[in-house]
Amino acid sequence: MFHPNINEYQLTSIIAECCGGVAVVYSAVYKPYNENVAIKRYFVDKSKEKANLIQQDILTRKELQHPNILPYLTSFVHGRELYVVSPLMNLGSCRDILDRYFQEGLPELACAIILRDLLLALQYLHRQFYIHRSVRASHVLLDSNGNVRLSGLRSAASMMVRGRRQKQLHSLPPPDHDNANLMWLSPELLEQNLKGYNEQSDMYSLGVLCCELANGAVPFAEVPTTLMFTEKVRGSRPQLLDCSSFPEPLDDGEMKSMYNTDSGVGDSAEGMSRLRAAYTARKLSDNFHHLSDQLLQRDPERRPSAAQILNHPFFKQIRKTDFLPSLIGRVKPIKPDPDDISALILQEKLSEMEIEKTTEWDF
Amino acid sequence: MDPRMCRKISSSESLPDGENEEFEVSNIIAPQESEENFLLEGNLGRHSVTWLDDDQIEDLDLNLDHTNLFFHRVDSADIIYRSKKKKCKMVGKYVMGDVLGEGSYGKVKEMLDSETLCRRAVKILKKRKLRRIPNGEQNVQREIQLLRILRHKNVIELVDVIYNDEKQKMYLVMEFCVGVLQDMLESTPSKKFPQRQAHEYFTQLLDGLEYLHGQGVVHKDIKPGNLLLTLDQMLKITDFGVAEALDMFSPEDTCYTGQGSPAFQPPEIANGAEQFSGIKVDIWSSGVTLYNMTTGRYPFEGDNVYRLLEAIGRGEPAPPPQNLAPTLQCLLIHMLKRNPDERPSVQEIRRHDWVRSRPPLLSGETVVGPRSRRSDELHSSTVVPYLVERHYASAHHFFTERELRHGK
Repeated sequence: MFHPNINEYQLTSIIAECCGGVAVVYSAVYKPYNENVAIKRYFVDKSKEKANLIQQDILTRKELQHPNILPYLTSFVHGRELYVVSPLMNLGSCRDILDRYFQEGLPELACAIILRDLLLALQYLHRQFYIHRSVRASHVLLDSNGNVRLSGLRSAASMMVRGRRQKQLHSLPPPDHDNANLMWLSPELLEQNLKGYNEQSDMYSLGVLCCELANGAVPFAEVPTTLMFTEKVRGSRPQLLDCSSFPEPLDDGEMKSMYNTDSGVGDSAEGMSRLRAAYTARKLSDNFHHLSDQLLQRDPERRPSAAQILNHPFFKQIRKTDFLPSLIGRVKPIKPDPDDISALILQEKLSEMEIEKTTEWDF
Repeated sequence: MDPRMCRKISSSESLPDGENEEFEVSNIIAPQESEENFLLEGNLGRHSVTWLDDDQIEDLDLNLDHTNLFFHRVDSADIIYRSKKKKCKMVGKYVMGDVLGEGSYGKVKEMLDSETLCRRAVKILKKRKLRRIPNGEQNVQREIQLLRILRHKNVIELVDVIYNDEKQKMYLVMEFCVGVLQDMLESTPSKKFPQRQAHEYFTQLLDGLEYLHGQGVVHKDIKPGNLLLTLDQMLKITDFGVAEALDMFSPEDTCYTGQGSPAFQPPEIANGAEQFSGIKVDIWSSGVTLYNMTTGRYPFEGDNVYRLLEAIGRGEPAPPPQNLAPTLQCLLIHMLKRNPDERPSVQEIRRHDWVRSRPPLLSGETVVGPRSRRSDELHSSTVVPYLVERHYASAHHFFTERELRHGK
């Protein structure tokens, strides 16, 4: 039991600003147990409209219990802000890891482990009649014990409406501050027609995540939103980039427009050619290609369900002894930062502090 | 009954519209390089193109079928169509789609928010046209003012208002809806819904009305034509053109003007009362709406507006058909009391037996789906073809008669 009282926690570092400046995530120590936790601090005043989403997030997480879903520990109001406490996932989000350490994408085995754990989370969510609607690397959190946990329950929707189970839903998830979430959403969800969408929409998002984890960049990242929509509706499928799918003779411009491999970091010509070399030099397994292809099918009825795809041969490569943190050994865990601590103490006196947006770490 | 009686008195007729070009899909028939192709008048140049509309093409097809002894038969693969280019138009951040419907004030079109990809509907109002409608401009201003403060799941949401001074146009961006109850009723042979379905809509109407009245707003034009449905069957009360915000500091809900649609007006307005209870007007109109949804008829009929108002003024509604559930008959009679004071409040209606228990769907009854004449069965976005034109401008789509017939 974690006490809903700010005095029981010692903030130790700033992990990230998120939700477009509406919240900041800190690492902290829960003093009674000397246990590391993450605290998300919302400036509720800045986000009047979103207060009900924060509430929804908490209510949903309270209801759900699964080893691969980020648990909720407690929450409380202090001053004008709302604090939500969760376990600390000290390797950060997959999006951070890709940006900082693996711009060309994660090793295939690491992808396999992450995807398998996420499938277990989705299988559970779907059995509870939830659709996550925001499966993306910034919502996949890792720690040095090898845990993989899904966060971002803010956009989750229940198929149970007024006590009745719906066959499909029709509305878009709540918009995020920059509408980036749309890139992971399925064509049928984006279409918003009478056919609607169901939990198979998450399977498409998982397919987009496959590409994001393996390529380092999200498909459609650099194209206008309306073109991304048209492409998806017309059934174009993003691909895993390796020597089979990524032909050599492409100049930077072509590559940028075709594969949108712009992570923001590799924007320079040098970065581009380095990425290109990395893609053409590698070969991902046929099983991996097949998996992402299956998930990214236009017709939701043809996509395998979470339970079905867990039996895919792609996951057979995982051995019991494989340990995710050692597969991505270069990732440094989040540690208490003396500079941050002094800054945080200073902040106690200041009412607000501007934090530069460096990372994306939502939960 | 004349459908005009379901419209507003103040705007009895919608005006014809001059500019209406972008969604007429026509086809071209291009002559092939074949000598026997004299279908398209001999004096046409080699590369000229004849524009035909769909009716003419059907005539051609008939000719081909019956007179092929006299005409050389043209192979269906030789007739080439090009889909009409849909020119992509943006208003602010919105991409315009097809026309969804036409109101008395102007067109309603589909739009897509290019940033959030959310489907929207836009009411396009032209100043020139508004001036010709009695109280037109005032009504629009009032509607905007009211919708800006109202927020409820059963009240249409006004998302954005865009003005274009140069074109003298105003765009009211609203939530997207797939159907109007009126159109759905008209699409069925019996012009009514199964009781189960009517109950579903009526209870949502009560939720919306309770909210409006709580906010001190009287709608004054409740009718199936002003009740919309979203993709997930959520009912939305729309058209606040003649609605009125009551004086918050007055204990009464007195109103002085009635501009709603004749068939749904209460006796007090039909009789020309100078002041009346606004809330009880909505109760009456909701009663007529429920009557209409469950019987396919109106409690009052008349050959013309004057006869109709005369009949309403007498206040003796046609008794509900005997085959209706007795509880429903009782509710209808109660809501259609001539004396406004005897009509129930929203809270009383909620406690009524018919409202409290959900009627079952009887065998043989089918739920009426939302439909509009202009969209496909799934109500898919009509903006996509415009986006295709915008993003793949070079790719013209050609197809032949044969492909067309084989449902390519």
